Amino acid sequence: MTELALAWKALATGWTVPAAFAGVAWGIVGGALPGISPSIAMALLLPFTYGLDPVTAIVMLASVYVGAEYGGSIPAILIRTPGTNAAAATVIDGFEMHRRGRGGEALGISLVSGLVGGLFGLAVLVAATGPLARFALSFTPPAYFALGVLGLSVIAGLSGKSLLKGLIAGIIGFMIATIGTDPVSGVARFTFGSPDLLGGIRPIVVMVGLFAVTELMVQAIEPAWSRVEAGAARLRLPDWRMWRRLFRPQAIGAAIGTFEGVTPGAGGTIAAFLSYNEAKRWSKHPEEFGQGSVEGVAAPECANNVVTGTALVPLLGLGIPGSNSAAILLGGFLLHGLAPGPLLFEKSPDVVYGLYAGLLVANVAMLLLGLVILTPCLWLVNRPKPYLMAFVLALVVSGIYAMEASFFDVALVLGAGVLGYGLRWLGVPALPLVLGVVLGFMVESNYRRALVLSGGDHGIFVQDPISLGLLVAAAVVVALSLRREVKRQEGPASP
Amino acid sequence: MHRDLVCAAAGLALAGAYYAAAAAIPASLLADGVGAGGIPKLLAVALALLSLVLGARRLLVSSRAAAVDGPHVRALGIAALGFVYVAVAPYLGYPLALALLVAAATFYYGERLRPAVLVYAIGCAALLWLVFAKLLGVAMPPGLWWR
Repeated sequence: MTELALAWKALATGWTVPAAFAGVAWGIVGGALPGISPSIAMALLLPFTYGLDPVTAIVMLASVYVGAEYGGSIPAILIRTPGTNAAAATVIDGFEMHRRGRGGEALGISLVSGLVGGLFGLAVLVAATGPLARFALSFTPPAYFALGVLGLSVIAGLSGKSLLKGLIAGIIGFMIATIGTDPVSGVARFTFGSPDLLGGIRPIVVMVGLFAVTELMVQAIEPAWSRVEAGAARLRLPDWRMWRRLFRPQAIGAAIGTFEGVTPGAGGTIAAFLSYNEAKRWSKHPEEFGQGSVEGVAAPECANNVVTGTALVPLLGLGIPGSNSAAILLGGFLLHGLAPGPLLFEKSPDVVYGLYAGLLVANVAMLLLGLVILTPCLWLVNRPKPYLMAFVLALVVSGIYAMEASFFDVALVLGAGVLGYGLRWLGVPALPLVLGVVLGFMVESNYRRALVLSGGDHGIFVQDPISLGLLVAAAVVVALSLRREVKRQEGPASP
Repeated sequence: MHRDLVCAAAGLALAGAYYAAAAAIPASLLADGVGAGGIPKLLAVALALLSLVLGARRLLVSSRAAAVDGPHVRALGIAALGFVYVAVAPYLGYPLALALLVAAATFYYGERLRPAVLVYAIGCAALLWLVFAKLLGVAMPPGLWWR
């Protein structure tokens, strides 16, 4: 009952509901703009949340994630350009439907499937996160160290095409986390005499640089995206008969989205493509796939919206972000002095249950706004790219400065953007680096605290049963990833 | 040079520089057994080893050399515009520096420099100044000329 009261309080008082609507609106617009992924849309909004109360800020950021997943399907259906990675699977049948004059129907199916997926993902989030966090409450410094190691072992799953490069990125992130005052002795490390670096480099600075600034740089060498023809689509919601047909692909999307969402590194893109394949396999009309199948739109759209909820399970329960968007949301928590993980449920239950309530509102807002926002969205997508990108750059430098009134932070963000651009060119994934930045401090400080407690005896990490279990789990994750890497090396040589 | 080799060389260079900086961290009377430089040194060694493996694997597996491609200088120009903004904003003030940044970036992204661009730049700067300085109450730098 306390939980319900906290959720209700968040809805009835404060700015939770307007924040959810505003977040979804920005998410849809951001998602509809090719090049602006959900994580970038969230990163751009992060500085604006600085002055808000934590519940409002976190709800707004999470709502951007919800809105962006639907927004990404708009250009996917109308101009064959996925606004987000996760919308790439929607292109196949969505654009084909549009080509055959059924674009409005495809957008309607995308919207309602997203709503179904979002609500299902929220239900999973509410059901799974509490027990996970309660279990994690019994953690000691060795267990927290082991949890950090488990989090870092996830790097293996986030490494994309090269495990080696993923590990390199993770170590660089960890190196960035060591900048600043040493957590045990208080000695300044890698500050080179700069007082601006004594407090360390905040994860949000790295994230905005790696995601937003890097994308701005890439857009400078990318061609302009296609224009949407005026009056191209009028959104049409499915009727009852269509709803019945959509049930099966939506159920497939919900199941796969749940599994992929809680698995760090998998995320909405993989969920969308897997759902598309499975929906085709289980469909009564597999021959329609690729020719404008309604099921081919419903399954991936449902799956990637399920992930908006389920990807938050490891973040809220253990403090481990498993995707770019979850990492940005983690940045939002840290910005407001909150540490996601088991203690969040004890120290700030209002934020957790406020977030649940806010996500519920966000999903409803997605339906309502989705019905009316299409026209302004298309207008915005049709604006010349130079104007849009210049505005985003202005937003980034202004927002980052506003957080600490520091031009040094703006320079760091730009530097992180250059680093991200270099990493992208070298084929080094960015997310392991973010994970290193976020978890580095936790791993180092708890490792050293545990050794202080044990008088330097490393046996403390295997004597604590939770620590031992987590370390074994980390070893299993690494072993499985190594096996996969070896198999990949044995396959066809990569260019 | 192949990208993996570039990556390996950069990783080795970073590992060397980072190790040297870690070794220079002063000892503290409050230090624990690991010390302030313990984990950083470990990270430097790990990075060096991974970079060596990456480079060696590329040399052993394939000798094909991929050309350095892509108009990187053009992409880096966006960051350069940002750095120029950081350098001049404390002197010119936030609204003026931001308007110049927006105009320069719009031009850089491919739009012709025409009056509409300047009007857009001034509009963006005014809008963001209103949001940050007036709505959010952030003390955006007014610049030297304002005093």
